[in-house]
Amino acid sequence: MVSTIKHYVSVASCWARLAVQRQLEYPLFLFSWLLMIPIQYFSGIWMLKIIVDRFQALNGWDFPQLTFLYGLGLISHGIFVVFFINTWSMDHMVINGGFDRLLLRPMNVFFQLVASYVNFIGLIDCIPGVIIFLYGAEIAGFDWSLANVGKLILVLIGGILIRAALFTSLGTIAFWTKRNGSMVGFALTMLERATMYPLSMYPYFLQALFTFIIPIGFISFYPAAEFLHADSGGFDLPLSFALWTPVVGIICFLLAGGIFKFGMKNYESAGS
Amino acid sequence: MDAVIEVKDLMKEYIIVKKESGLRGSIKSLLFPKKTKFNGVNGISFSIAPGEIVGYIGPNGAGKSTTIKMLTGILHPTAGSIKVCGISPQADRKAVVRKLGVVFGQRTQLYWDLRLGESFELLRRIYQIDQAAYEENLAILTDVLKLQDFMNTPVRQLSLGQRMRGDIAASMLHSPSVLFLDEPTIGLDADAKHAIRNFIKEINRTRNVTVILTTHDLDDVEQLCSRIIVVNNGKIVEDGPIGSIIHKLTPHRMLVVELQKPCQDLTTPHATVVKQEGLKIWYQFEKESISASELIAALSQKLPIQDISVKEPNVEDAIREVYKTTATV
Amino acid sequence: MLQAYWYITKMKLLTNLTYRFEVFTSVATNLILMLASVFLWQTAYKGGAGAAEALSLQDITTYTILSITISTIFVCDVQNTIYYKIREGQIVTDFYRPIPLLACYLAEDIGEMFSALLNRALPLVVFASLFFGVPWPASFRNFLLFLPSCLLSYAILWLLSALVGLIAFWVMELGNMGNVKDSIVRILSGSIVPLWFFPESVQTVSKFLPFQYTYQTPLGIYIGNTSTSEAFTSMAVQAAWIGILYLILAAGWARTKKKTLIQGG
Repeated sequence: MVSTIKHYVSVASCWARLAVQRQLEYPLFLFSWLLMIPIQYFSGIWMLKIIVDRFQALNGWDFPQLTFLYGLGLISHGIFVVFFINTWSMDHMVINGGFDRLLLRPMNVFFQLVASYVNFIGLIDCIPGVIIFLYGAEIAGFDWSLANVGKLILVLIGGILIRAALFTSLGTIAFWTKRNGSMVGFALTMLERATMYPLSMYPYFLQALFTFIIPIGFISFYPAAEFLHADSGGFDLPLSFALWTPVVGIICFLLAGGIFKFGMKNYESAGS
Repeated sequence: MDAVIEVKDLMKEYIIVKKESGLRGSIKSLLFPKKTKFNGVNGISFSIAPGEIVGYIGPNGAGKSTTIKMLTGILHPTAGSIKVCGISPQADRKAVVRKLGVVFGQRTQLYWDLRLGESFELLRRIYQIDQAAYEENLAILTDVLKLQDFMNTPVRQLSLGQRMRGDIAASMLHSPSVLFLDEPTIGLDADAKHAIRNFIKEINRTRNVTVILTTHDLDDVEQLCSRIIVVNNGKIVEDGPIGSIIHKLTPHRMLVVELQKPCQDLTTPHATVVKQEGLKIWYQFEKESISASELIAALSQKLPIQDISVKEPNVEDAIREVYKTTATV
Repeated sequence: MLQAYWYITKMKLLTNLTYRFEVFTSVATNLILMLASVFLWQTAYKGGAGAAEALSLQDITTYTILSITISTIFVCDVQNTIYYKIREGQIVTDFYRPIPLLACYLAEDIGEMFSALLNRALPLVVFASLFFGVPWPASFRNFLLFLPSCLLSYAILWLLSALVGLIAFWVMELGNMGNVKDSIVRILSGSIVPLWFFPESVQTVSKFLPFQYTYQTPLGIYIGNTSTSEAFTSMAVQAAWIGILYLILAAGWARTKKKTLIQGG
């Protein structure tokens, strides 16, 4: 067991080092990301401010609370993008044979899929995320107690696991269809709209969907409602939501692992 | 001796979606895709002994790659059993792949933006090769494959031949007992081909590595393989030593005769004239019924012969013959 | 000559129709965007808030539905096409083709536009009508004015894309700047939140930029927020921007061509 962990850690750290080297081969490429990501997200929160200022709080969510929610959703997105970005391109790996190669190595395939590319560029997403979150926490009067910080960390981990589970399940579809780039786009859109805006503004049906079927409400909306004592919409779940997120995350992740395993059995490879 | 690879009644079924042409067809298959089943591999059995070099050949779409992918654990067969070194790759993938080296000629496993040596270092960790053994092995591979000149060059700057040598070295670092090579010489120049063939012979001789080779280059087969397995339409159509397959498939030989002056009667009871070009005449004869020297003797009594040569059928003729006779689906 | 372009257009249309899966998910993606935005507006307008606004909830709903629908039709792959052709050095051989390159790229994009009209925009409007009622224009006259304005909008967007694609030629390692441009257009065109809701200062600056003439202008005409005479003025401004952008593109393209053919890529 210990030697297995050592083995995996040694491979993962080697891959991380190689990933940094590969990304630094194209330094100017980072520049377009550095421009785009902040524009995209700062403008997103600015749009919310325009709407709330002109009209009213969204179902009781005022601008400070919206900022907190938006920032929390964005940070968990940013960290996810650093560690799990390969789940977005599983269709490419199927087509160019990269996936075949993972199957030819004596290690866990999912581990290889994820660890083989640590996307440090994704930290750029975290920059506006952290800024917006800290600002939101400040103006919303978030209580930085030790217990809350602990809960926050649990929520982030749980949220990242939920995202990873979702994209792994979607990526598995590529084993059959060979292409699913557009599904990734779809899921990203859905995630953004359900984790960075209050879920309670959607109809009851969609709230139920994002709570019980595709539980992305747990990534940021329910925890934020709990932290700020804001309106959590149609569902009153027992216990503290902050503790639900990691539980939901682990369940989703295990389920996704099962789907991935099933997909590998039916994997058809591609080309000659 | 126990077989390294044991395959029984292997089947792989595919479902293909048929696309129709034209605007109408596009819309139709958008809404109601037509699906049909077909067997990419249709009941294949063979066994390979340690130390053999086997050429696994067949036309495009014959089921070569599918078979290789099942043997290496990438694909799961629809039916049939596979044992590699006594283990089923589907049941215990990790145990099997430790013993395998696999090279896909058209796809590299090296990192495009990194130096060759860095990809090797990663593999050392993945296969948990101990440092001393790794260095010794790498030194040998570097020497035989002549990697020293470009060990520190980014892979994207390597020539195709250099890259292929790098890829082969990468697949041999963990000292596998079986090496699968899928089109290892595709697109390479004569020098690189020569180097790679030499390397295959060398590791087969010194380490008793079993080699399974798929290729369209029949020179590879002729120079390397003691045995060939020919597949077509998902079935094995020939399996045996190269010599006997050539003999069986092309019993004819050709005698080319050049005359000193034109003659009227060229016929002989022992052979048939298949071609004539000026003073050059091609005779085809059965090697079972008459030997070349007997035929020459018979002809020289009748015709004024200037020059003479005997043509042996080669592997290419034999293979073409196989594809032709098994082409119908 | 025109036949060649039509052929390119038709081929693109046909290949696009074969990707079943992509079509379904793309419709779903845009549907999500549409639903989310409309629900956001409904929440903002809830309980009689915004009654004093010039735009009613019905107006803004129609505006949002149409905005997302036309965004699926306004295909501007030219920025990626130019970027990849330059990166792979293929642009050199393309320059030797007998017909003008940019026109080829435009023909391709128009082919995609036709297929998008069929398999993206149409289902989207159908779904939107089911959920929120048919997004009728303010009047038939508004609809008639909306169409030419849309064409002008597309021309502006396409020229912007081609210009951004050209950046790759001068600073190749910069990567694809198309994404950066897209996120600027998304905000300043009023495609998400109409610029009328923005602070005065932003509105003033925006009048001198091309972006608001891509989405807000035709959409404003459609929902009747722009009077007929204003509509003609806006279209004149659109046309002026097309002229300016075309001149810049033509100059940039000529220099690119010259440099490429001299260097051989």
